[in-house]
Amino acid sequence: MLHAKVIDLEKEKIKPENAEEFIASSKFGASIVFYGTVRNNNENKKVTGITYDAHDVMVVKSFKEIYSETDQKLNIKDKSVFIEHVKGYVGLGEISIIIAVACPHRAEAYTLSRFIIEEIKKRSPIWKKEHYENEDSEWLKGNPIQAN
Amino acid sequence: MKVKVELYGASRDLSEKNFIEFNFDRKSSIKDLKKKILNYVDSNFKGNDNFKKIIESSAFCSEDDNIVSDNYEISKDQKIGIIPPIGGG
Repeated sequence: MLHAKVIDLEKEKIKPENAEEFIASSKFGASIVFYGTVRNNNENKKVTGITYDAHDVMVVKSFKEIYSETDQKLNIKDKSVFIEHVKGYVGLGEISIIIAVACPHRAEAYTLSRFIIEEIKKRSPIWKKEHYENEDSEWLKGNPIQAN
Repeated sequence: MKVKVELYGASRDLSEKNFIEFNFDRKSSIKDLKKKILNYVDSNFKGNDNFKKIIESSAFCSEDDNIVSDNYEISKDQKIGIIPPIGGG
């Protein structure tokens, strides 16, 4: 079971309770909720916030592909996965991504959660523009996507 | 024909709008589109090296939201998304 969405912060908020509610089930004995948040420092620069940009359709598509791959690559079939990523301005300590997973056992829940965030970093078309204390801002360098 | 290039990430700095439009007088490809965007940087940003690097390292996506190769054919009016190197999460 998968929930995958890009949250446009100009229209709505990202809500941790939605994640917890989505993965709650008595058939699962292990749940992990991962929050990505904005930290105050990057490469010795004092960060004040991050603006996230996203290609919404391709992001959701990538989330679905990653979810589907966890069947084949990790052989984790019985699971519940909730993924939301924001776009728009995010202040210090605020949430940019929630990945909530639930599985029957803890080993597969840890593996699943880690796999999903690492794949999102590599494949999902999301960009960060960092804002600094001196009022500068810059788009962070990322990983190129290759055509198949 | 008209190609509307939708801007994402660092490529948003190429225009105050969310897109740039280019005209082609014959069947073209993503490779040709890249050349047009590089010429646009030469004309509008004095050949800004950072912008050129972004374009050269970007992927492009079709109107049906698939990443397409340099040889992808552009033969009608359409939207193409420019996908600079990614790094969210």
